[in-house]
Amino acid sequence: MTRLSRPPFPFGLLWFWFLRLLPAWLGIAAIMFLMQIAIAAIVHDNANVRTFLGFLRLLPSIVRTALGGDMLDSGDMTALLTVGYQHPFIMFLYMVYAVGVPTGLLAGEIQHGTMELILSRPITKVQVYICTAILTLVGMFSLVMVMFLGTVASVHLYAFSEPIDLSLFFRLAINGGLLASTFGAFALLCAASFGRLYLAIGIAVGFLTLNYFIAIVAAWWPRLEFMRKATLFYLMYYSAIWREWPLENMAKLAAILLGTVIVGGVVWRRRDLPL
Amino acid sequence: MASVEIRSLTKWYGSSRGIEDITFAIEPGEIFGYLGPNGAGKTTTIRCLMGLLRPSGGEVRVLGQRVAPGRGTQHARIGYLPGEFRIWGRPRAISSLKMLAALGGDRSSAAQRNALAERLDLNLNRPVGDLSKGNRQKVAVILAFQHQPDVLILDEPTAGLDPLMRQIVLDLICEAAHAGAAVLLSSHDLSEVSAICGRAAILREGRLVEMAPISEIVQQGEQRLKVWFKDTAFLADAPSDQLPGVRIIERTPGVLHVAYQGAADPILKWIGRFPVDRITTPQTSLQEAFMQYYQQPGPLDATGDDSKGHCP
Repeated sequence: MTRLSRPPFPFGLLWFWFLRLLPAWLGIAAIMFLMQIAIAAIVHDNANVRTFLGFLRLLPSIVRTALGGDMLDSGDMTALLTVGYQHPFIMFLYMVYAVGVPTGLLAGEIQHGTMELILSRPITKVQVYICTAILTLVGMFSLVMVMFLGTVASVHLYAFSEPIDLSLFFRLAINGGLLASTFGAFALLCAASFGRLYLAIGIAVGFLTLNYFIAIVAAWWPRLEFMRKATLFYLMYYSAIWREWPLENMAKLAAILLGTVIVGGVVWRRRDLPL
Repeated sequence: MASVEIRSLTKWYGSSRGIEDITFAIEPGEIFGYLGPNGAGKTTTIRCLMGLLRPSGGEVRVLGQRVAPGRGTQHARIGYLPGEFRIWGRPRAISSLKMLAALGGDRSSAAQRNALAERLDLNLNRPVGDLSKGNRQKVAVILAFQHQPDVLILDEPTAGLDPLMRQIVLDLICEAAHAGAAVLLSSHDLSEVSAICGRAAILREGRLVEMAPISEIVQQGEQRLKVWFKDTAFLADAPSDQLPGVRIIERTPGVLHVAYQGAADPILKWIGRFPVDRITTPQTSLQEAFMQYYQQPGPLDATGDDSKGHCP
């Protein structure tokens, strides 16, 4: 009689939240897709490449580092195409989604008073958390896949003077998806831990921004090279990704992702929500 | 078996007390009033009952099942109306209501939802953000009642409603109780509590100070006596100097209105010394009884008779 039965999975909530997020996701995905085509439109032509490289040389060295560093100077088209994966604007868009979705769904629903309504129905707190995690992680990963599709479309749209290794871009996309999802998981942890929306956003943005700038500065300034390993980006950019699947780094990223999601779930389940 | 059982429920927020040692039960078909000023602990009790807060001690059971925090225990059979109802503004009211009904697999509430909307004169096809405060409260009422729950937990269900709609909501509560639902009604409107509740509990500073049938609560405490003297110019001296427990409410030439506690004999003997024209015994209202509990220190023994609501 007193046995606890688990309510059915709340697909209704998942669908309700999905529809709310869809316009934002489509907007970000469209920008990312078009950005890859725009970069390809520039770099597929040798004359444009020379102009592009000239433009890059005009930029401050730290900005060049943020866009890809020394590998761009080689003029290799594959390397130049990766600018579309590393551009600060793309990073900004990832951050918007990674931070906005979990904080908006968990801390946002609490702050707007609607979490009390959701939890008054036959649904567990853990199920609410899983819905948020699905939308965050799947959303992040699918954005990276859209970016890869942008590259695939570019290669078919433009004739490049040298072969473009799409398998490299696929590796980049999968690893980028893992990295982006790990940042999404950290934002999820923040959203699960703090009831106030702006506190959760602030801490998540702070963590992401700090990681990004440490990665850039450590790559740019040799005296700070030792700090490379202090960021999650190290597991992406300093791996052997250019040649092969960096399985060890992927496993580390996956472990961090999983651990962060689980810790967030435990915190969310145990704490009293400030409804 | 009681539909709702709360035993020694205690909730602390860090070092500050929310509620302490709350015990009561609500039977099927009973409308139970839950009264107290702001900050007394009503919402904390309700949230522990809903599993939204983790109690520091005690036990809560709903429909025989122990409430586990965050597990949605028996929520498919509970209708909940929060004190501060806030819902998504952009979607149409019907979309949000359907989504919330569908959580837990309830897809059969459409007819009941439409009937409620018709009765409450509410257009569910408008976005909630465009609705007035009163109409949003109607959405809250529909949310609580749409799946015909066995337990209703209602925190200020008539807040913001006009008198006509207020009466309709009270009728809905009574009908649900007649159908066998147990109702916990938290309200600041004591007239509606006394109108539909059979029993009530009064909470002060996180503790129950009274729990009894409404009629008993009203009768307990002070009794009233209004006396018209034959000599209209007569101005009786304050009897409170000579009679402990007597409080003067009104004293005008020829009229004395007093409240007294305990036996009526001393005050009647005192009045008998003067020429009396007529005497009445005005009824104490629940509001007056309620106010007395906030003027007296000390919690009372929290036991009371089971009695069903006295809806018309």
